[in-house]
Amino acid sequence: MLKTTVICFLASYGCAFACELVQLRWRNALGRIIALLFGAAGLVAHTFYLLRRSGQMDLPPLLSSAHDWLLVLAWIVVLVYLFVSLADAELSTGLVIWPIVLTLVIAAQFVTTSPSDELNHHRGWGMLHASMLVLGTFGVLQGFVLSLLYLWQYRRLKHRQMNNQAVRLPSLERIERFNRWSILTAVPLLTIGIVSGFGLSIIVKKVDLRMTWTDPVVIGGALTWTLMGVLFVWLLTQKRQPGKQIALLTAWSCGFLLVTLIGLQMLVAAVGTQGVHGAPVDREQKQE
Amino acid sequence: MNLLALYCTHQTTPLAIRERLAFASREQLAAAYSMLQERFPETESVVLSTCNRVELYLARPSDAEPLTPPQLAQFLSEFHGVPLDEFVGEMRAATGSEAVRHLFEVISSLDSMVLGEPQIVNQVREAYRVAEEQGTCGPITHALFQGAIRTSGRVRTDTRLAEGKVSIASVAVGDFAKSIFDHFDDKLVLVIGAGEMAEETLRYLKDEGVQEIVVINRNPERAERVAAEWGGRAAPWSELNKWLGVADVIVSTTGADKPIVDAELFKKVRLASPGRTAFILDLGAPRDFTTSVGELDSVFLYDIDSLKQTCEKNRKARIREIDKACRVIEDETAKFMAEFYRRAGGEVVSRLMQDWHGVSKDELDRLFNKLPHLNEKDRDQIERTVERIVNKLLHPPLEALKDEARDGTPHGLINALKRLFGLND
Repeated sequence: MLKTTVICFLASYGCAFACELVQLRWRNALGRIIALLFGAAGLVAHTFYLLRRSGQMDLPPLLSSAHDWLLVLAWIVVLVYLFVSLADAELSTGLVIWPIVLTLVIAAQFVTTSPSDELNHHRGWGMLHASMLVLGTFGVLQGFVLSLLYLWQYRRLKHRQMNNQAVRLPSLERIERFNRWSILTAVPLLTIGIVSGFGLSIIVKKVDLRMTWTDPVVIGGALTWTLMGVLFVWLLTQKRQPGKQIALLTAWSCGFLLVTLIGLQMLVAAVGTQGVHGAPVDREQKQE
Repeated sequence: MNLLALYCTHQTTPLAIRERLAFASREQLAAAYSMLQERFPETESVVLSTCNRVELYLARPSDAEPLTPPQLAQFLSEFHGVPLDEFVGEMRAATGSEAVRHLFEVISSLDSMVLGEPQIVNQVREAYRVAEEQGTCGPITHALFQGAIRTSGRVRTDTRLAEGKVSIASVAVGDFAKSIFDHFDDKLVLVIGAGEMAEETLRYLKDEGVQEIVVINRNPERAERVAAEWGGRAAPWSELNKWLGVADVIVSTTGADKPIVDAELFKKVRLASPGRTAFILDLGAPRDFTTSVGELDSVFLYDIDSLKQTCEKNRKARIREIDKACRVIEDETAKFMAEFYRRAGGEVVSRLMQDWHGVSKDELDRLFNKLPHLNEKDRDQIERTVERIVNKLLHPPLEALKDEARDGTPHGLINALKRLFGLND
């Protein structure tokens, strides 16, 4: 297997983002194709990297470590982005997507690269916990991106600015619909992920439950999950709300969740807190 | 040419002033024509009042005293009850060939907010028709407006100005409504009033799949007609608030002299469907919705001036077509002016031709009497030859007259021809 490194796909994604920025000024089909090719090349390198890591750890990428977990999340975002771009080449979602992908990949360098023993010993529960969390977080990320796009489009229309040829956004109605579904699917997935995480803690006898409750990642996750739950209930119970209000609430709550999850993972890795999510950063592997 | 055009357009004057000077209803127009006739007797007049412009064209015989812009501004001020100092600086005036060129540019949509829009031709035609109906047209305005209609046709065939998305309605639907709504088949469209632009907007909305249309008009017959034409239903004016509360797309062009919906009213009626997005296209001049309505959440209000940016972009993209159209207009203006001045010498020309052809016919009759053996074919050949000789001899003086007429009525040449060829009265 090719010896790909994080730098390979990070550079590709960086180039794709640069191409998107250039499109703001000089919009043409060639630039668009080049941006997509950079994105696709990065995705291929990204895939090889995750497979190689999985092979080295002898674990599925989701169970390997927080580092791999964040990279899987970034991988899903890029995959969906490429799919959407191929379906509608005119949409300018890359301007919002690439900064998020780059942030996730860079953040992955500052979290632990060591696998958790507990997850390794209970792979079924571990896979359920990690996959639900990653999919739920992807839904949250999607909601966050859609909310930003909604607010951008809303502002343009309120200010009666004409459709910029370089930046074409979906209609408000479409963004609102996708946003609603993102939240409505993300929250149950996150709930399953969190509940299965607690289940896993209970099953693994050697883990001290007191330690679980003092784990910053668990506390932060529970808090933000509560916030998302409130948003979820509000979306379900209110018959119809102004789209801007939904977008603002989603942007704030999703943004908060993302910052909390990623920030806490980084914090835990940096200070070396012991806990379920508190394995120290493996410096040797990080240098890869 | 004793022609004066006084105008204010979206290029020169804000909507807030234009809407105060507009002739919103047929009755108001009739009253204006009546006042013009009374104030300026023996003057031809045509009033063009649309959402983008208010223009007055007045013509008098060459020997009459020319009208001045202040006289017309005074008329507008008194008619609309707007103090002169509030708008006089916003008015523009053109006389003679400049006025002709301006009208040709207007009807060719070069002066329109959306370059190449087709409505302006119909609006000018309608203004001309109403003036004819009011009996205020005369030889100059007839020639002027017929020339304008001919010019617009030539501009549209000789250039690509009318191609693509160019009208206010298409820009509003294509660039803005479609950025708000993903699909239109489940949207309720409310049409308030029933102007031509509202109908054009309906055409674009229909193309996007709109199925439910409600038309409200103070004139129920008109509402019924529009509703029937577009597969919608008419509703009485008393139900306006009810439909305002539930409509997704509102197209308004009532011709009311003040706004009919303000933010307070709109907020109140929208309680029927909280959070529902409303796209409002206010095509009225004066506007039908106060600007504060557009500040409400989930309400996107666009009036005529809101579309200026898009229009400006279209204008830039079609700059090469504008140049071509300007050349056509320049050519048509020159032709029109030449034709106009030539008509001034038309009497002399026709008398000259009549005389010369009369002389040639007399001489030919005499010749055929002397040569009875000539058959029909020979006679025909001789008649044609003589006719050609007469025409060739007449050609230089008539061409000279035509050339002179390009710069104005050639009084000197006409007198010379009269004296040289014995055409005195």
